[in-house]
Amino acid sequence: MLELRIEGLSKTYPNGVKALQDVSLTIPTGMFGLLGPNGAGKSTLMRTIATLQEADSGSITLGDIDVLREKDNVRRLLGYLPQEFGVYPRITAEAMLNHFAVLKGIVNAKERRETVNALLQRTNLYDARKQNLSTFSGGMRQRFGIAQALLGNPKLIIVDEPTAGLDPEERVRFHNLLAEIGENVVVILSTHIVEDVSDLCSQMAIISGGRVLMSGDPQDAVRELKDKVWRRVIAKTELDDFQSRYTVISTKLVAGRTVIHTVSDAQPDPTFEPINASLEDVYFCYSRRDSQQRQAEAA
Amino acid sequence: MSWEILKFELRYHLKQPLFYILFVIFFFMTFGAVTSDAVQIGGALGNVNRNAPFVIMQFLLVMSTFGVLTTTAYVASAINRDFEYNTDSLFFSSPVKKHQYLFGRFSAAFIVSSLVYLGVVTAIMVGSFMPWLDKERLGAFVLKPYAFSYFVLVLPNLFLFAAIFFAVAALTRRLMATYTAVAAFYVAYVVSRVSLRDIESEKLGSLLDPFGFAPFTRTTRYWTVFEKNNSILPLDGIFLWNRLMWIGIALVLLGLTFAFFRMEVGTAAGKRKKKKTAKSETPLLPAAQPLPHVSQNFGGMVSVRQFFTTIRVETGAILKSLPFIVILLLAVLNTVGGAVFANRIFGTEFYPVTYVMIGAIESNFLFFAVIIAAFYAGEIVWRERMIKLNEVTDTMPAPTWSIWAGKLAALCITLYICLAAAMLTTIAVQSVKHYHHYELGLYFRGVFLVLGIQLLMITVLMFFGQIITNNRYVGFLIALFYIIGQSVMQALHYEHRLYALFNPPDMTYSDMNGYGHFARPYEWFSLYWTIFAAILLVVGHLFWVRGTETAMKIRTRVAGGRVGMPVITTLALLIIAFVSTGCYIFYNTNILNHYSTEDQRDKRAAETEKLYKKHDRIPQPRITDVQANVDIDPARRWVDIHGTYTLMNKTAQPIRDLHVVMTPDVPLSIQIPRASLAQNDPEHGYRIYRLAQPLAPGATMPMSFTVTIHHQGFENASRDNTVVENGTFFNNFTTFPHLGYSPNVELQEAHKRRKYGLAPVVRMAKIDDPKARMDNGITRDADWINLDTTVSTSADQIALAPGYLQKEWTANGRHYFQYKTTSPILGFFAYLSARYQVKRSAWKGIPIEIYYDPAHAYNVDRMIYGVQKSLDYFTANFSPYQHKQVRILEFPRYAQFAQSFPNTIPFSESIGFIADLRDKEAIDYVFYVTAHEVAHQWWAHQVIGADVQGGSMLAETMAQYSALMVMEKEYGRDKMRRFLKYELDRYLAGRGGELVAEMPLMLVENQGYIHYRKGSLAMYELRDEIGEENVNAALRKLIHDHAFEQPPYATTRDLIADFRAVTPPEKQSLITDLFETITLYDNKATSASVTKRPDGKFLVTITVESKKFRADDRGKETAVPVNDWVDIGVLGASKTKGNEPVLALEKHHLTSPSAKFSFVVATKPDRAGIDPLNKLVDRNPDDNTKKVE
Repeated sequence: MLELRIEGLSKTYPNGVKALQDVSLTIPTGMFGLLGPNGAGKSTLMRTIATLQEADSGSITLGDIDVLREKDNVRRLLGYLPQEFGVYPRITAEAMLNHFAVLKGIVNAKERRETVNALLQRTNLYDARKQNLSTFSGGMRQRFGIAQALLGNPKLIIVDEPTAGLDPEERVRFHNLLAEIGENVVVILSTHIVEDVSDLCSQMAIISGGRVLMSGDPQDAVRELKDKVWRRVIAKTELDDFQSRYTVISTKLVAGRTVIHTVSDAQPDPTFEPINASLEDVYFCYSRRDSQQRQAEAA
Repeated sequence: MSWEILKFELRYHLKQPLFYILFVIFFFMTFGAVTSDAVQIGGALGNVNRNAPFVIMQFLLVMSTFGVLTTTAYVASAINRDFEYNTDSLFFSSPVKKHQYLFGRFSAAFIVSSLVYLGVVTAIMVGSFMPWLDKERLGAFVLKPYAFSYFVLVLPNLFLFAAIFFAVAALTRRLMATYTAVAAFYVAYVVSRVSLRDIESEKLGSLLDPFGFAPFTRTTRYWTVFEKNNSILPLDGIFLWNRLMWIGIALVLLGLTFAFFRMEVGTAAGKRKKKKTAKSETPLLPAAQPLPHVSQNFGGMVSVRQFFTTIRVETGAILKSLPFIVILLLAVLNTVGGAVFANRIFGTEFYPVTYVMIGAIESNFLFFAVIIAAFYAGEIVWRERMIKLNEVTDTMPAPTWSIWAGKLAALCITLYICLAAAMLTTIAVQSVKHYHHYELGLYFRGVFLVLGIQLLMITVLMFFGQIITNNRYVGFLIALFYIIGQSVMQALHYEHRLYALFNPPDMTYSDMNGYGHFARPYEWFSLYWTIFAAILLVVGHLFWVRGTETAMKIRTRVAGGRVGMPVITTLALLIIAFVSTGCYIFYNTNILNHYSTEDQRDKRAAETEKLYKKHDRIPQPRITDVQANVDIDPARRWVDIHGTYTLMNKTAQPIRDLHVVMTPDVPLSIQIPRASLAQNDPEHGYRIYRLAQPLAPGATMPMSFTVTIHHQGFENASRDNTVVENGTFFNNFTTFPHLGYSPNVELQEAHKRRKYGLAPVVRMAKIDDPKARMDNGITRDADWINLDTTVSTSADQIALAPGYLQKEWTANGRHYFQYKTTSPILGFFAYLSARYQVKRSAWKGIPIEIYYDPAHAYNVDRMIYGVQKSLDYFTANFSPYQHKQVRILEFPRYAQFAQSFPNTIPFSESIGFIADLRDKEAIDYVFYVTAHEVAHQWWAHQVIGADVQGGSMLAETMAQYSALMVMEKEYGRDKMRRFLKYELDRYLAGRGGELVAEMPLMLVENQGYIHYRKGSLAMYELRDEIGEENVNAALRKLIHDHAFEQPPYATTRDLIADFRAVTPPEKQSLITDLFETITLYDNKATSASVTKRPDGKFLVTITVESKKFRADDRGKETAVPVNDWVDIGVLGASKTKGNEPVLALEKHHLTSPSAKFSFVVATKPDRAGIDPLNKLVDRNPDDNTKKVE
């Protein structure tokens, strides 16, 4: 089984932003969710794994490949879908995918034709294959991106915010496709949508501010919070008060009313009702702890 | 709303690269033309200020013809963009009114097209401040001509083009249709210009010319320098009507477009769109089927496949992009223009041989290819990053080299497609001219190898610049600096090609000699720079950005990571190769040869003048006999000369010092008995020998010398193209030693003379200068000599020199010829050697031989015929031919002239030998040039003028007259009219290019437009007035009195006196008008009417006006009373202009400014007027006749 090991990975950008700070992760075969707010360092991490970026220190190994040095070997196993990407004007989907297939080393013409057709069918672009990519809608482009990432049976698939441009139904289909592929290969899915991770991933990590806040099985993490999450509907004006008194991990509007979740071993008071912890609560819990810690460090 | 659309559109257009590309192209084309003579827009500037109003008008007008394409790019985009990008429905369903939409789009497109032309305006403004320009050639900055040219010449043109093609684009909604219309427009324009050219009404042509060219040329063609520097085209008359009419037509077209345009979704685009929405917006992914298993392979051949797929995709991306198509079309258009007019002399074409076509590609196409290279280097390096696809492609498992090399190769292929397009263009031009000798091999070498390699090297530089700077715009700046740097370095005299980045020396192709001695330095320098390009590529490979890291520190680290044994080895080998090639070149250019820059040579010339001008015309002995053994080794480009002069003291004083001058740097040894070397200055080629015993008056002495011209290796820039592998042609001026200071070394350009503190050049000694009259106009160190020369060459070549062949033999594998003269010749002779084909003929027992290149047999018979007819006329009317043979010899086109030596006439291969004489209507200039050169056997080789003003009239004007008479006997008087019209045109245009002062013909100071052009006109008019026999009698007398005379030599005073002697008293003023003054006429027919008489004949009544002027040497005119015999006549109709039959022609003595005449003619008259055949010098010859009514 292929395993991706990241150890002590750090990266500071020339402008001083510490994108990754001593990140260590072990990513086994299967779907791995990378959860974190925007600017957490997810994209940096993924680009570093995808050979697009250099690290200042630390190491990444994929099986016995040193990812940071043997870039060509990594690229042979890699399928990568970046967060946003454009296309050449005046070239058809089929021609472009065919071109990518050659770049992926699929040089047998028959195999290439088959795999290109299969992927176009799979992403439902087959009928549009003779169209110029520049006329594609956002969703079609995203599907095209998926198709190219899946070229050549990759062993390591990295997808960065893949469902951003998709409508709900398309998102579901995409998840199914990923899950199917993810059975035998390493799939890293970066997202800020907690549901994506809970739906799909057997392993996950939360990162923020360039640090790994937690990593492991999402079910375990949820189990840890079992019977510790409490919910209350409050008036909007009371929010500050509640935040100072309780460990409020999330605030959201439900049907126009403010709903807060808190974490506490015991029921804070009877007005709070117990709820089943979700992965979202886990995420918010870690995020809150992290921001408090950073505030403390800053102070 | 219109305003909003307009603003939106303007912002859009100004964001597109096309605007900047066009601006840069226009800027640099113009900048080049303003700041150098290498680039020309609409012809050479001559002596006109570089920023003269005329130049500004001409540049902007010529450049505005490109507006058809540039404007179309914008108006077509304004309409078609919506249909292309499917935004039409968006626009047409929004509450935009049709007129707002159209107005906004049209105005924006028109404004942007106009802004492009500010590139031309700023280029002239900026260009005229460049420090290397001669300040004397710059006028003060005046805004008015710029504003006039921009608003009156350019904008109406652009408005018209915009209106026409906006209409086509809006109504067809097809890009292809629009560009087809552009092509049709150009073709229609060219066809109409050609067909209108010969029709009578030039006024109509001027009115109908949509570019405004015809009225512009019509008004300005004979402007003098003064007028060109100070005047603006007056906005009146036909020119005003032309502008108003075309603006009106444009407005009507716009109105029609507004009326017929329908605001609805385009049909073609709509269909496409429906298909898309119907099928692929459903986000269904079909049920899971396992993806087929594929095998991936890497390295080796797979990398090559990846390289090729990159090439394919990238090439497609360039070829399909709009800027590429527009630039390529512009380039092709410019090449057509260049190629069509590349082969003309005297309105007669020569065959559009391949090297001429390659030249047209080089000067008209290459610049555009460089722009494409610069722009698309930026595009191709940045493409993925610009569209944010880089993260996808950079993670693909293709090796880095296959990506960048694929991109570079795609760019190179694109450029080769451009070159192929250029080649096909010129081949098409050749075919249209019915020239079907397509030398594909030469095309391949000249275009694909020579131009191609240079282009590729520049492309590598642009590509490398983009990689290394990692900033598109900084990358473009590098391209810009490169282009500017080339000309700046030249201007600052950094001339060595070892540091002239990617700029190997120029080559001149000759059909006789191929690329000859140019090839070797070209190959070595190309190799040198190709290796350098390869080094750049290896470095570029290391720094090629793959991924998202852009900081130089990290890129350096990554580059370090890419360094491995292969890279190190390659780089080391390349650097070794680069350095050794450079050393080898340096050894050739600087050690085997003497390297000097232009300003170093100028400086030396100035020093020579300063040091030795004081010896000008000091008494020296004259050469009376020359004996020389000349051994030519064409393969090695060696010449060894062993010669002996016999010198005679023809002065009345003993001569003590011999001043021997020689071309500097040519090894020379001299043996003079009993003489010591008193001064030796090899740097300036000047030495003085002191004779132990001064040479007494009348005494003779020998002087022997050895000259060794051994070309070794190759030079930085080949300066001696006379001794070559096939087609050696040199004369004794540059290769033999001479006696006395020679003014030939003196710098001629006024600005250079100022720079080195020299007094303004004196072109000619005054006609009565007694010292100068002792020298003839050709050689100062000899009067008439006898020549006995033995010349040898390689076994397969024929070597020639003036004189008669005494002996011919072969020894030591070399071919020897001994030539000897039997009548005295001037001290000016030449040697030629080549692999010649010989055609022999004879005239009354005198052999005629043509020595020519086997590929150039076209006009050999014509030349023989010309020689025969010339000998007929000259021997019958002037004097016997002094030699017993006439030879015409071809030499390579490194020089472009024909020159007459005793019984020997070398003709450049570019003149005459490839003349296209298939058009029987055109002037047969081979016949003419042959007659002219044969005439020099009399006019120069029998009678030679003194080295004073008017000297060239005695040689050239007389040769022109002689040739005119031979031509007239052959072709008839009617054909002469066209020739004389050319002569008049070129004389009047030549006045506009005068550098110093226009002289009357008899005082001409070696001014071509006077001694050739005006000379023809004046002699023909004299012949017309006093008769051929009288003119020839005067010439016979001149020959009788002055042939082969010893000093003092004849001057034009003798000739004029002979003319006056044969001219009746009432026509003596004619001599004054033609030869002693600058006289011009303004003749005009004011009315012409016809009535048919009962007897079937026609009565024609004409009223004419005549004015007469004297001009001073600056062109300022003063009216003088008319008192002349002038032709009044009636012409019939003709298809071609200049060939109208003469129905009546009478000389009338005019004394009043206006007069009335009537004629009765038998056939139907067409035009009538004064001086209808344009024999008089008239700045507006076309109004001499008027259509009869």
